[in-house]
Amino acid sequence: MNFDTRFFLEAMPLLVDGLWTTIVLVLGSLAIGIMLGLIGCYGKLLKRGPLSWLAFIYVGVFRGLPETVLIFWIYFCGPLILDVRLSPLGSGILALSAVSGAYLTEIFRSGVLALPPGQIEAARALGLSPYRRIRHVMAPQVVKIMMPTFIGFIAILIKNSALVSAIGLGELFYQAMTLSATTYKYFEIYTAVGLIYFALIFPLSALSQHIERRQRRQRS
Amino acid sequence: MAVKPSPTRKPLFRRNRIFTDYVPALIALVIIFWVATAIRWDFVATLQFEFLWQFRWALLQGLGITLLLTGVAMTAGLPAGFLLAAMMQSPWPPIRWLAFVYVESLRNTPLVLQLFWIHYALPSFTGYSTTVLQSGMIAMTMQSSAYLADVARTGIQAIGHGQWEAAKALGLPRRVVWMKVVLPQALKIIIPPLANIAIGYFKASAVLALLAVGDLMTVGVRIANFTFKPIETLTVVGIIYLVLGYIFSSLTYRLEALYGKSEVGR
Repeated sequence: MNFDTRFFLEAMPLLVDGLWTTIVLVLGSLAIGIMLGLIGCYGKLLKRGPLSWLAFIYVGVFRGLPETVLIFWIYFCGPLILDVRLSPLGSGILALSAVSGAYLTEIFRSGVLALPPGQIEAARALGLSPYRRIRHVMAPQVVKIMMPTFIGFIAILIKNSALVSAIGLGELFYQAMTLSATTYKYFEIYTAVGLIYFALIFPLSALSQHIERRQRRQRS
Repeated sequence: MAVKPSPTRKPLFRRNRIFTDYVPALIALVIIFWVATAIRWDFVATLQFEFLWQFRWALLQGLGITLLLTGVAMTAGLPAGFLLAAMMQSPWPPIRWLAFVYVESLRNTPLVLQLFWIHYALPSFTGYSTTVLQSGMIAMTMQSSAYLADVARTGIQAIGHGQWEAAKALGLPRRVVWMKVVLPQALKIIIPPLANIAIGYFKASAVLALLAVGDLMTVGVRIANFTFKPIETLTVVGIIYLVLGYIFSSLTYRLEALYGKSEVGR
């Protein structure tokens, strides 16, 4: 078991290719997930009415399902039921953004609920319009409160993106699987890919912990 | 007659009928209409769930393996987590660094990758190849121990300085301090987060289907491929995960109500 450098240089372009697909997958599902999360958060905060029921069911189902089941379901059953052709990338983004939306709903909601109620009452008493209340009073504080959890969630999302390899999307982990299966260099490839994932995820989780620690110090 | 002020908070948004009721209802109607026209009803009408009954024992066995994996990850991961938490408090830096590297490398890589690394790459080191189930157990236990180290640390830190000092003043040996003073109290504090992690791993174990470990998801995929009926099979498997996860999490709320308020002397 000696490290083959030449082989490594040959394998690198494929891994970089996979890395780009992973990044597209993560950013795409994060963007859609944030939109779904904002709608879901608004719905859950209403506590009554059809939108809140929808939000409750949505969050309950997509937080309770394992991501693997959802990815398989959308890829294999979606085309059968809906008569649409979904590429692996499309179904991967769809599945991951549905899950992200459910988790982000809860992250946003807990950020809003952590806001001191006096802030909103004061803003209301000052006669600020609902738009200004949200834009200038709530949003800056909520963003600050939920930032560590949000960044931590991006780290989780990158980890979950490896699951999409199950439906044959050529992202980082899929490239690792196919490369190692054809060359039998399991140790080298999985270690290298592990280091790439670590380099992506560790800065995010370290940043999240750093912000959280700083906020706790400021509060006390 | 004096009216008691209600303790509930005011709603954050004033209810506006147009935005909270009518617009969502309209959007929902449009979506329902679109879905209703897009669904191939003639195909949906041919769906039959009865055939899954003949696979009930296979599914049950898969569920058993999923629960076994979760149980192993928790029961073996917790002592390892406490060990890691103790290592992180060690006065000797190399031990602290070792625990840090272990915890961070397992927390910041995907579970699938760890699983494949253990199954395919590790045997080239050890010369001993593991079965898929063993690899799954090792991967899940290693990752859960990294997460449980954090939980164990919060449990240990919740025990006040006074208790450590009192135990020291009584001249108790280090082992007795851990076994009789720290652990029994720490375990009580960490039950709620522990239950949450257990539910997380119950769900996450579906990942092991990528290696065909034999858990519920593996069985589901196998039945779907064998019978060419993915919709029925995967839907039922999803419902099983959903319902069991829901039952577990409602049990967790009960546990939290029982243990959440337990007080530990400072």
